[in-house]
Amino acid sequence: MKMPVYWGCVIPTMQYSYEMSVREIMPRLGVELVELDNASCCGTPLQSVNMVAAVYLAARNLAIAEKTGFTDLLAVCNGCHLSLFEAAHFLSHDEKLREQVNGMLKEEDLQYSGKVKIWHTIDFLHDMVGEDTIRKNVTNQLSGLKLAVHYGCHILRPSSIGTVDDPENPQKLDRLIDWLGAKSIQYPEKLDCCGAMLMLSHPDAAFTFTGLKLKAVQESGADALVDSCPSCQNMFDVRQKSAAATTGAKLNMPVIYYTQLLGLAMGISQEKLGLNLNRSPIDEFLQKALVH
Amino acid sequence: MTITDQMTSKKPDAGLRLRVLSKIGEHKPYSCYQCIKCTSGCPSMKMLELKPHEIVALAKAGFIDELVNSGIIWTCATCLKCKERCPQAVAPVDLILALRNLAVEKEAKVPESYLHDLSMILECGYVSRPQATITRKLEKIERDKLALPKFRESNERFKAAFLKVLEQTQSGGA
Repeated sequence: MKMPVYWGCVIPTMQYSYEMSVREIMPRLGVELVELDNASCCGTPLQSVNMVAAVYLAARNLAIAEKTGFTDLLAVCNGCHLSLFEAAHFLSHDEKLREQVNGMLKEEDLQYSGKVKIWHTIDFLHDMVGEDTIRKNVTNQLSGLKLAVHYGCHILRPSSIGTVDDPENPQKLDRLIDWLGAKSIQYPEKLDCCGAMLMLSHPDAAFTFTGLKLKAVQESGADALVDSCPSCQNMFDVRQKSAAATTGAKLNMPVIYYTQLLGLAMGISQEKLGLNLNRSPIDEFLQKALVH
Repeated sequence: MTITDQMTSKKPDAGLRLRVLSKIGEHKPYSCYQCIKCTSGCPSMKMLELKPHEIVALAKAGFIDELVNSGIIWTCATCLKCKERCPQAVAPVDLILALRNLAVEKEAKVPESYLHDLSMILECGYVSRPQATITRKLEKIERDKLALPKFRESNERFKAAFLKVLEQTQSGGA
């Protein structure tokens, strides 16, 4: 199956291991990624500054996706997924806005018609690739691992426009973990926000969000925290030390993308999955994961 | 007789209220009955004393200038729990974003990072160019040393089109 993919800003400029692991696993699962031509930011960072410009940017990328002739788009970043999804919702409910935005898109000979269905990594793997294909590709069962999952706010809410999973009791990422032979553990802070968006205005508060959640995950007895959003990973993994310093908690929590975990279960090398780029202390965890 | 803010003796501004509320489409703060479900689930309430229900009440009363010039609208983490859980579909987060938009328009105090993102998008299409990263063993590594395709900035035609969009929408056209 061919699938157009939209990477956004954070993944191709900072969170390389997410891009590397997605590029490694997809072809092996029978998914050929199709690149978008001349894409740009999804608009999320502009929602606070200029909402119409934000919707324009989202619609622009969707219009570029439409141009490929495919009717699906994989938006691997949570923030991008919401921005594209919300824009599609606004544009289908507000004819005046749609006319205005299409007028703006004309400058580049683009047109938004709303034909594209937007997927995120989690629902794409869960609903489209599916259990059978994933189980069949697992050569290294991750049995015995206890994992805490973090969905990230922007693929769960608001459910009024349709989202990736249940907003209050999501299960898809939990099941994706079960299919690898590992166990997803439940903990009360599962839906808590990582704080990433506050980095723009209140970094200390952002680190406190991150630190408190990591502390809770650590206390739950999980072997690692598994996520699928580059901004969340940026907080939990890259900034774990700052989060520890801000909250005064002793943090020592391995953090890994689901796509990296799936790659490990499929027998892909650590180097190809960019596992040397995870900054949290994951070495012991990797040993444990590869023993099975 | 209208409400007067006891601290500043300020009167509400109906025109500005209309301008903000017209930006948030289907979710109208008028239906808020102050059940405080938004604030009780708000993570920024715990850390930064953001009270979404108060923001809704102040906007309903017309104290828009006060909100726009207050730092409190920049404490929202946009976790969207308030929008998800509001029994009246009010979506305080949408109101907060509309107030932020107005703060930018009125040149109130806006955290610099937001404007930095905007200028980067104008410059290359994205909020950043590929940055060097550091491995767990503290080795510096660039994107082009990894097994990844070349990163392409958005082209000049996009930049011109985007600049035009900003000019059209910043002059109150939105």
